[in-house]
Amino acid sequence: MPSSTESNKPDTMPQVEPLAGQSCKRIDGADKVAGRAMYGADLFPGQAELFAKVVRSPEAHARVLSLDTSKALAVEGVVGVYTHKDVGGTNRHGLIRRDHPVLVEDHVRYRGDALALVVAKSERAAESARDLVEAHFEKLPVIGTIDQALASGAPKIHPDGNVMGDKRIRKGDVEAALRTSDVVVSDTFETQTTDHAFLDLEAGIARWDGELLTIHAAGQWVHEERRLVALALGLGPERIRIIQPCTGGAFGGREDISIQIHLGLAALHHPGKTIALRYSRSESMIARHKRHALRIHYTLGAKRDGTLTAARIVVYSDEGAYASTGIAVMRKAASHATGPLRVPNVSVDVYGVHTNNNPTGAMRGFGACQMAIASNGIIERLARVLKMGPVTLFEKNLIEPGDEVTTGQHPENITIKECLRAALDKFHSKPYPNDPLPPHLKRGWGVSVMCFGLGYGDGFPDCSRAKVAIDEQGIITVYTGGVDVGQGLLNMAAQVAGTELGAKLEHVRVVAADTGRTDESGSSSATRQTYFTGNAVRMAASELREQLLDITGNCLKVHPHEISLGPGGAKNTPGFAYETANPDNHMSLGDLVREGKKRGYPLEARAMFKPRTVPGDPNTGKSPKAFVTYLFGAHVSQVLVDIETGETRVERHIGCHDVGKAINPQSVEGQIAGGVAQGIGMALMEEVVMRDGRMLNPGFTDYIVPTIRDIPPVEAIYLEHDDPGGPYGAHGVGEPPLIGAVPAVLAAIYNATGAAPNKLPCNPENMWWMLNDPQRRGDFTVTQAM
Amino acid sequence: MFYQPQTLEEALELRGRLRDEAIVVKGGTDVLVAMNHGVLRPRSFLDLSQVKGFDVIERDDGWISMGAGATFAQVGQLDVGCLREAALSVGGPQIRNAGTIAGNLVSASPAGDGCVALLALDAQVEVASVARGSRWLRVNDEWFLAYRKTALADDELITRVRVRTDFQSAWYKIGKRGAVNISVVCCAVGRSPDGCYYLAFGSVAFRPIRTPQAEELLNGRALTDDLIACAAESVMDEVSPIDDQRAGAAYRRAMCGVLTRRLLRELDRM
Repeated sequence: MPSSTESNKPDTMPQVEPLAGQSCKRIDGADKVAGRAMYGADLFPGQAELFAKVVRSPEAHARVLSLDTSKALAVEGVVGVYTHKDVGGTNRHGLIRRDHPVLVEDHVRYRGDALALVVAKSERAAESARDLVEAHFEKLPVIGTIDQALASGAPKIHPDGNVMGDKRIRKGDVEAALRTSDVVVSDTFETQTTDHAFLDLEAGIARWDGELLTIHAAGQWVHEERRLVALALGLGPERIRIIQPCTGGAFGGREDISIQIHLGLAALHHPGKTIALRYSRSESMIARHKRHALRIHYTLGAKRDGTLTAARIVVYSDEGAYASTGIAVMRKAASHATGPLRVPNVSVDVYGVHTNNNPTGAMRGFGACQMAIASNGIIERLARVLKMGPVTLFEKNLIEPGDEVTTGQHPENITIKECLRAALDKFHSKPYPNDPLPPHLKRGWGVSVMCFGLGYGDGFPDCSRAKVAIDEQGIITVYTGGVDVGQGLLNMAAQVAGTELGAKLEHVRVVAADTGRTDESGSSSATRQTYFTGNAVRMAASELREQLLDITGNCLKVHPHEISLGPGGAKNTPGFAYETANPDNHMSLGDLVREGKKRGYPLEARAMFKPRTVPGDPNTGKSPKAFVTYLFGAHVSQVLVDIETGETRVERHIGCHDVGKAINPQSVEGQIAGGVAQGIGMALMEEVVMRDGRMLNPGFTDYIVPTIRDIPPVEAIYLEHDDPGGPYGAHGVGEPPLIGAVPAVLAAIYNATGAAPNKLPCNPENMWWMLNDPQRRGDFTVTQAM
Repeated sequence: MFYQPQTLEEALELRGRLRDEAIVVKGGTDVLVAMNHGVLRPRSFLDLSQVKGFDVIERDDGWISMGAGATFAQVGQLDVGCLREAALSVGGPQIRNAGTIAGNLVSASPAGDGCVALLALDAQVEVASVARGSRWLRVNDEWFLAYRKTALADDELITRVRVRTDFQSAWYKIGKRGAVNISVVCCAVGRSPDGCYYLAFGSVAFRPIRTPQAEELLNGRALTDDLIACAAESVMDEVSPIDDQRAGAAYRRAMCGVLTRRLLRELDRM
């Protein structure tokens, strides 16, 4: 029963290009550019009634003897000062171990530890009162380094001691293989502590109406945050709703709890009042977890012809005061210890060690990023000893289809050689500069290779869910618990649903990251959302499509196989269903929905995507499927180094990643450019400077992130080798660009200067020491030479 | 209170009356940062941004004279070697459009890029008060008295800063990135037409400094490799850098030598 007017009939036969694969504009872009998007702190005006501030420890390691809140309570406008005694639940959070107190009972473990929560009628009053809470401490020796933590007689930061855990991999017979190798090289790589440096500071509001605790705060996994709030505060999760405001960056920095529980605690004590809480930049940096600093002892053996024989790797990781995601980081470091290299014998031991530094947790590429620095770096050194070009040595040892990665898994689509070749082709497409340089300037270039296991992996449950619905206007709504922190999840979900349902982007809405309206969809981390949530959205949309085809078939009297869905015509109306061979036989989606309702169709569909992985064997780390899929990438960097001052400038940088399929090519290129920028920051300048548990640079004056002057135009390339498990063959691109960027810059420095960097960041001072101090000349050990 | 005089006379009158009760602000690039960090909590402001003619730059009889309101962006347009370079190395475009060279002198930060360039140009600063009229001071020990302390009296304002146009000079700043870059070490060297040298350094002492012994070695002599090496050695003895979160003393000291050599050779090629 065709019902639409002639002018609205579909004019798009054959079907328009699917949305998946198009560089559609960001559906949240216009609001962000125009300032209409509501970030956490934008929720304050007109809503905030009471303001909370957190009292943080001035000591890095101490027993709390007493806490006197009387002076704070006396400040005009203060309505409450709360301590651990006022927390109704476990008073703990933590993503893997629940070891992090919401408000410290008696043992302060780092200078960001929260002692009390002040609530007042104005932010200024809360700040004044915060500074008047008096704590008395018995100071304990501060453990500022891994070595101090492991020293005999060191005070225990946690009852079980300072070794948080370990992770091992055993493959083949490393010692025998090293003994019979023609060449063995060793070096120790030290990576630094870095900060996520997202721009949108932690800020949010909460309200408890006696039935429901509603918290608006940016995290990376709203449903996990709801669980953690529930446990810590002793409230059923069904009585908590967490809604993600528009979010300006995360990079792993929102994975741990920040303000959510403190907001909830204040709200529970002040029913009917909207509580607001936000951090300053310095509080954000002092309180938040950081990237793990790793010390990696790497020994690599090879035959005369460059064939790798064995790797022995021992890693110490500064876990800081609490576990956070440290266990997962250790696993990731172990399983990525040899990257995309074919190494028949491997032994890895990773030790996580508690210190009184900031807890270390998730940050883009965790574990894998540090190991890529070491595995690429050691190959560069081996190449020098063997007098081979690094590219030749890499190509000789890169895994190929059928090969296995460190954990013994055989990834389905190994395309690292294609990535390296594409990156090199791009690099060589421009002539290498041969302008004469003054003697203090040295130019060089280098490559890196990386692989990345996508998703949580190691048997950890990993699941995305989605719901797709259509209304009587023909507007499609996708519901997902996934969080868009700026990476483009909203577009990914909309473009996938639109592809299944033949819709234009403007007729797809996305409701994301609201525990009251969306199903759990895992975290925006581990480069997993396109693969996981993309699959869930596609499956849900595909089921909804089936409903629509059935209804159409019934109404138009054609077989569902002969029906197409497509966007509307000239008037830009939502979509149509029509007989593929005869578009005149059509009906609008709105009419279709009305007809479907009469027939009792749900007109919505849910789906869950939950592929399983297998935990590694505890003794060998071996797993047939540690990760659902593997991603590959290669970078080329060109640098100019001033060997007198140590200043280093990246002149060119190429990042090539196999993304399976670019759902939104512009977003993919943006992720590559952003990862390279963050990688150059890590390679050359970023560093959280801690001294005896005190952060010396908690702000952007002295925590140096790169500017536009430090990043050349990033030459981003993506390859699209279909991933059979991903939506339209896509897998993801979030973390790999950073992982690839850092070692390429370091390789270029080595090529330019002849000194092999092993201590990050390569800021001018560290570079100068490497180049000038005979003790720290960036030499490595060759224990067996030909 | 927020005082916003329209003329220099009004400004000086207010300054004489308010003294340190009001913080003097023009671009605000130091004042607002200090307020954000909580180290400055002024009750009143004396805002000089509306004072007429305050940012005029004039050339006169071998001098370039910059009104106290002249911004780094304006100074970056001048053809005065190290001063231009230093001004363009300050912050980013927004900061250069707001911050002033005179404000840099008043803040007297050890890392003040503008201060270092002015030291190397043997610049002069004019200060004025209602009570005592105006006076010229040299931008050296006459101006920088202690850590972030200058000769400016609490009833005075800077009115002009001037440099000679016949100096040759060169500039280099080492920082950790390409823009919005606080110096780890910065160096300016200037040479007067009569062959006197002015070697100035930032971030290597409690204030921007010159190295008089090295200058003495160089004055009136032709630059040779040996002489440059001796001067660099002397510089490294004269500076007193510290270890802090931005860099270590050993590196900073070494860089003073590197930059002395580099910039003297650059002067030699001019």
